Amino acid sequence: MHRRNFGRLLAAAAFAFASATAMVSTPVLAQEEKTIVGGFDVGPGGFPGNFNPLTATAGFTWLNTYFEPLVIYTSDLSKLDSALASGFTASEDNLSYTFKLVDTKWHDGKPFTSADVKFTLELAKNADSGSIFAARLADIASIETPDEHTAVVKLSKPNSAFLSVLSQVMMLPEHALSTIDIKEVAKSQWWSTKPVGTGPFKFVKYVSDQYVEMAAYDGYRGGKPKVNRLINRYFANAAAAVSALSAGEIQFTFAEPDDAKTFKGNDNFRIIEGDSYVVNYIGFNHKAGIWSDLRVRQAVMHAIDRNAIISSLFGGAAKLANCGYVAPRLVPNGLDDYAYDPEKAKELLEEAGWDDINGDKAIPWLTYYNTPQVANVMAAIQAMLAQVGVNVVPRALDVPSYNGIVRSEKFEEFPLVYAGLQNGPNPASLNIGLNAAQIPPAGNNIMRVEMPQLTEALNTAMAETDPSKADAKWQQVCKEMNAQLPWSPMWVASRYGVVSSKLKDFFWTPAPAGGPFVSHPEKWDIAP
Amino acid sequence: MLQYILRRTVVGLLMLLALTVLIFTLLRLTPGDPIDAYINPSVPMSAADLVALRTRLGLDQPLPVQYFAWLGAALTGDFGYSIQRGGEPVLPLVLGRIGPTILLMFSGLAISVVVGIAAGILAAVRRNQFADLSLSTAAFVGISSPAFLTALLGLYVFAVVLRWVPAGGMLTPGAPFSVGDLLAHLILPAALLSIGHGALIMRYMRSSLLEVLSQDYVRTARAKGVREFWVIVKHAVRNALLPVITVIGSTIGIAIGGAIFIESVFDWPGMGLLMINAVVRRDYPVIMCATLLTGACVILVNLLTDIAYAAVDPRIKVA
Repeated sequence: MHRRNFGRLLAAAAFAFASATAMVSTPVLAQEEKTIVGGFDVGPGGFPGNFNPLTATAGFTWLNTYFEPLVIYTSDLSKLDSALASGFTASEDNLSYTFKLVDTKWHDGKPFTSADVKFTLELAKNADSGSIFAARLADIASIETPDEHTAVVKLSKPNSAFLSVLSQVMMLPEHALSTIDIKEVAKSQWWSTKPVGTGPFKFVKYVSDQYVEMAAYDGYRGGKPKVNRLINRYFANAAAAVSALSAGEIQFTFAEPDDAKTFKGNDNFRIIEGDSYVVNYIGFNHKAGIWSDLRVRQAVMHAIDRNAIISSLFGGAAKLANCGYVAPRLVPNGLDDYAYDPEKAKELLEEAGWDDINGDKAIPWLTYYNTPQVANVMAAIQAMLAQVGVNVVPRALDVPSYNGIVRSEKFEEFPLVYAGLQNGPNPASLNIGLNAAQIPPAGNNIMRVEMPQLTEALNTAMAETDPSKADAKWQQVCKEMNAQLPWSPMWVASRYGVVSSKLKDFFWTPAPAGGPFVSHPEKWDIAP
Repeated sequence: MLQYILRRTVVGLLMLLALTVLIFTLLRLTPGDPIDAYINPSVPMSAADLVALRTRLGLDQPLPVQYFAWLGAALTGDFGYSIQRGGEPVLPLVLGRIGPTILLMFSGLAISVVVGIAAGILAAVRRNQFADLSLSTAAFVGISSPAFLTALLGLYVFAVVLRWVPAGGMLTPGAPFSVGDLLAHLILPAALLSIGHGALIMRYMRSSLLEVLSQDYVRTARAKGVREFWVIVKHAVRNALLPVITVIGSTIGIAIGGAIFIESVFDWPGMGLLMINAVVRRDYPVIMCATLLTGACVILVNLLTDIAYAAVDPRIKVA
């Protein structure tokens, strides 16, 4: 064989390799079966790999395909609706809630009864089970079960957030979990191998780090699901999920705003835009010693052209916030809109003596958002603040690092943050981040806000259990926030999902923590 | 030789122990812990819930206590439970990821060895001709291209635009297992993983072979009338392979690093994806176990490379 034969050999090898590659084709799922594959745990509302609803800080969109709570938010997140409770009533003193239960069965055929409700709530309020709801359900004094279809929950004191918290407490089967020692419940393999719920789909299998497969539950009280299988595929990040969506491998995923834009005008996909229910803010660390003067905080507000940022960097897909809320029912008239006015900002800073307070010293500005959009937003704000003499330096961190720093006492490391806090559907969500009683280690008021009038307004609103009076109380909270600026409220941005046009009657909204919300997975369908 | 292997094994075990101390310390020096990873900063959670969670996970214990508790259990094969996966036992979790990573890594390595050596030989025997120049150019591009660029570009072109291969994962979700399905998912990440190593191997093979081809014994073989094919294969290539084997062995560690990146881009359920998720979520037990096993693999492969090196070249003596 001559030298040229090496070339032939190589060409032959390349041909064989290419042929082998070409012969490998992507298999398709059986035609007769309808299967929806989605990235249901992608994005901030997802919690891939967590199967235990008692330890879930997110992921309720998916959990709700097989588990169900007693009450659930409506699809527009405007109010609580019935789920496993066909109806519920509260006593006049708001210390007793009576839940009438639906007549349904667990996926294994056993009946769902009030004993399951009692078991679940007792498990959820016991920290030994690993439940993250324990403190939030601490007001439960007792759970009575007068009959199989009635559960009465008695509280030790009125709690305006009780029903809202309950919407994330998925009911669990006593017959399957009561045999497990309470301290072993969180570690139990039951959650990821044979969980039993009452939802429209039943668990089939979890292929670690790849996907979770569900099968239609024929006995679902809302009717047999239209698709045979539902698959939740896991992705390392939202971009990978978008690639899979573009390649036709999945039919739904959460998408970052820039990725969602790429589907605009494409008839094969539908973009879902929804309120994030997260108010973004520039958080002043009140222990850092440079933000104590209200005029400085007002100057920050006036220095930032929020409308321009919303228009150019959010493409208009964000609502301007002048307090913690943007929902019209929670926002009173007469708020200061802190219009963009850099000259006024300079005057305010001068009056406050900013040169002596900090001057042009660099102020670290932390965030846990790692998206290009937020990087651009922070760069724009950095430039605007620099124009008035406030020198901030953005620094993006991963979530654990961010949490580790802001929950510490090293205030010089986080004088300023760009963050977000859930502001709905229950407006009480903001209390934990603003009430003086919630300053760490007691709570989650990481910016160490200590404003007596604001705290009083929050306490008053929190104690109001009458829905007809509550909005006015939350408006007062809004007013105090607007006047005192514990943070610089910025906006409530939209979040996105992208759905293949093959999906019919599919509903999803970017609810905080993934909901849960009424989505009727049993009605989801897919065109061939 | 046996003494040499034993000594290297003991040193390897000590290195592993040092590695656990290092990783444990480094992990605790980073800001944030599993509880911090658990908190979605936008979602309100009460401090009492977090304290209870911290106690349940044993994170309220002093660090030396946590380390020795971990080490003691690890020596008995108990690597604990994954913090972020609802208490899934760590060892089966990590062991389950070794197979996919080995499959990906060795597929990529096999492609790079076959293509790299073949291209290196071709470039050497066609020195300064079109084949050599084009292959050398391709190799330079391959070596210089960052893995993230080739991986993302490959994913976009072959999976999203051309739709020749799936966009990620190891098997089609919900579909019954088939070798064809596995290969369809494997081919692109393995091919992309092989680019850098293949290019490196090609360069080494080319220069090594060129050096050998100018040796007297090759000229002698040609003068004796041995056919060119056998001159190259039997006399030149065999000797030229020696430094290439070293390169292949020493790049195993790099291959693991590359596999980690490729796995995260292609959602390949191997050690890389597991470790990235574990680091992001501060899942200490998973990080410790995965690092320990990866370290053990690298030490083992290096040991095997040294043994192979000694076996291929009898002149090399081990002390």
